[in-house]
Amino acid sequence: MHYIVKNLMVPISDYATISEGSTLLDAVLSLESSRVDVGNTIYPHWIVLVMNSQNKVIGKLSQINILRALEPENGHADMLQKLRNFGFSPGFITILREGSIPAEKSLEDIYTDPQIMNMKVEDFMRKIEKNDFIDENTPLTTAAHQMSVRKRLSMLVTKEGEVVGVLRLSDVFTAVINAMKTTQFGSYDHDE
Amino acid sequence: MQELQKLYDRIVQRANINLRELEFDVNPYVQNLIPFEQMVKFYAFFGISPHHPLNFQFKHSNLAGSYFLGQCKVTNSLLYKSDIRGDELKRQGDLFQYQNFEIPVSRDEEIDIQDSMLIKTLVHNFSHDPETLEEFFIKNTVAANYANIHGAPSDGSFVGSFATVDITTMRDCVIGNFSYIQAGEIYHLNIAPGTIWVRNPDEFNFMYQHPVEALNEYIFFKAGIAPRGIFIDFVEDRKEAFQRVFDVVNIEHVTPVPSSASLDRYAVNKPPTHIGENVLVSQRAYLQNAWLGKGANAQENCYIINSRLEGYNVTAHGAKIIGAELGTNVFVGFNSFLRGAAGKGLTIGKDSIIMPHTIIDIRTPLTIPEGHLVWGMIKCKEDLDRHSIPIEDFSKVNSSLTMGNMFFEGDGGSFVGAFQDRIHHILEANGAFFNGSEKKGHAQKNQYISFNTLQPYPEGKNKGLYPTIVIKP
Repeated sequence: MHYIVKNLMVPISDYATISEGSTLLDAVLSLESSRVDVGNTIYPHWIVLVMNSQNKVIGKLSQINILRALEPENGHADMLQKLRNFGFSPGFITILREGSIPAEKSLEDIYTDPQIMNMKVEDFMRKIEKNDFIDENTPLTTAAHQMSVRKRLSMLVTKEGEVVGVLRLSDVFTAVINAMKTTQFGSYDHDE
Repeated sequence: MQELQKLYDRIVQRANINLRELEFDVNPYVQNLIPFEQMVKFYAFFGISPHHPLNFQFKHSNLAGSYFLGQCKVTNSLLYKSDIRGDELKRQGDLFQYQNFEIPVSRDEEIDIQDSMLIKTLVHNFSHDPETLEEFFIKNTVAANYANIHGAPSDGSFVGSFATVDITTMRDCVIGNFSYIQAGEIYHLNIAPGTIWVRNPDEFNFMYQHPVEALNEYIFFKAGIAPRGIFIDFVEDRKEAFQRVFDVVNIEHVTPVPSSASLDRYAVNKPPTHIGENVLVSQRAYLQNAWLGKGANAQENCYIINSRLEGYNVTAHGAKIIGAELGTNVFVGFNSFLRGAAGKGLTIGKDSIIMPHTIIDIRTPLTIPEGHLVWGMIKCKEDLDRHSIPIEDFSKVNSSLTMGNMFFEGDGGSFVGAFQDRIHHILEANGAFFNGSEKKGHAQKNQYISFNTLQPYPEGKNKGLYPTIVIKP
């Protein structure tokens, strides 16, 4: 099957979005609702798109972005980045990071700081970069390659320069393994 | 002055091209730092002696107030009140040890400064880069007030005020104010002010970060704002004393100097001072009410005031010791600033190592026990507890250690050993172990230096430029 990107993309209208200036709490609730409104796909949506006032996508929020934002301030955050750049080992940095979270604190203690809850999404979202976009007519093989080398879990699909959907790694992967099975076993019916 | 302006523009452009990836513009840092009129006012000078090579070549450069010794080539550069000391360069036939290689040196090493601007900068030691053994190059580089480029070949870099790059090759890097870097080889790094980084890959990695706001009180320098703070005030307050030693042709120090010691004629000496056997006091050092025991030294831009150094003390380039008593074998690293309370407020026990770029600035008396490793910024006893450790304990670290903003990974014994070996080597090179006939070092060799002066064009389009000069035996 010769798929192109638009065959597999999720239309942007089906995606949860949130406005620039929203809080972390808004983002958490939005991510929750996007998981509920999964429609007819077997994979729920795990990201929320952040839109600016011109309705352009400026960022993506995933579970990992939110967990990172919730990390307790430990005073070493900038230093950890610096240590990474200056040749300290990943093991050493992990020890420092883990050692900075007090063991006696509960989840609720750590993750309900009002200051964190009111952080703006633009402070912790992943900003959209030039290589986050892919044209809707791109062959799926090219798309799979790009997601692989660019380490992307999703890409924004464009039509004549406008974002019209989201291509998810889960859908690309499913198409790839189905193609493998078809090659190996002929027409494959997963109900058999 | 047109040529001087063109030269300045050329240097800035070349540095900026190298630093484009870091989006760093050196121009706002240095454009008003040294008015061109200043570059015409001061003579350059060089030393000749039977103990040092003599091979200078100056071309299309300004050398105002700068000092040269040994073997050095300067082309298309502006050097303002800088010290270029080529008295530790490798000689033809030397064997350079690097990892498992023993590399023969094919010709005498040379300091080669091209397209660079050095302001009150010290250049010393030799290239530790195994790829350029015969050439200690400094190219397309701008260094600000009181920087140290020590055994550190540099291309396309900016070195901030009071920063030190030590036995490290750097390319396309920005070194923040008061940072000390000893890391072998670095590329494309923008290092924040107050970073102390000592790394020997596969053996150890030490890093300390000075608190930025507190550091700004000591040295603050950014685009459009000239260096200022306690360090600058401190040296400015003592500037006039240096003016006198540079203005007077024949200067006689009144302090008795043993035959095995040397007190440079371009050092400031304000009695009462005591110079012991095998003591070395370099040019631009400042002594006032200072007692230096056998084998102690004060290198360039060091200030020792109201203090006693018991003996075999290394006071590395730019270190300042005020109101302190140091036991034997105490090492004070580059640009450290040790200021006791009024009177003799600071005592440092023997065999202690004060890491480069340490600040100890106390209001009440403080004693550092013997055999301690000390780093960071210390203003009271509690700070000392957080920024020091017995050397014996540190030597036992075999994986990692974190204390406040100090991070260490690797073999503590190897780190301490490297420091101790280096201190021994410095004492040896300085002649601290001279026994009357053997083990001569700088303290003995520097007694026989004569100084000659050089002047730039006083007027015309070449005003401020020095003519092309080649000086050989």
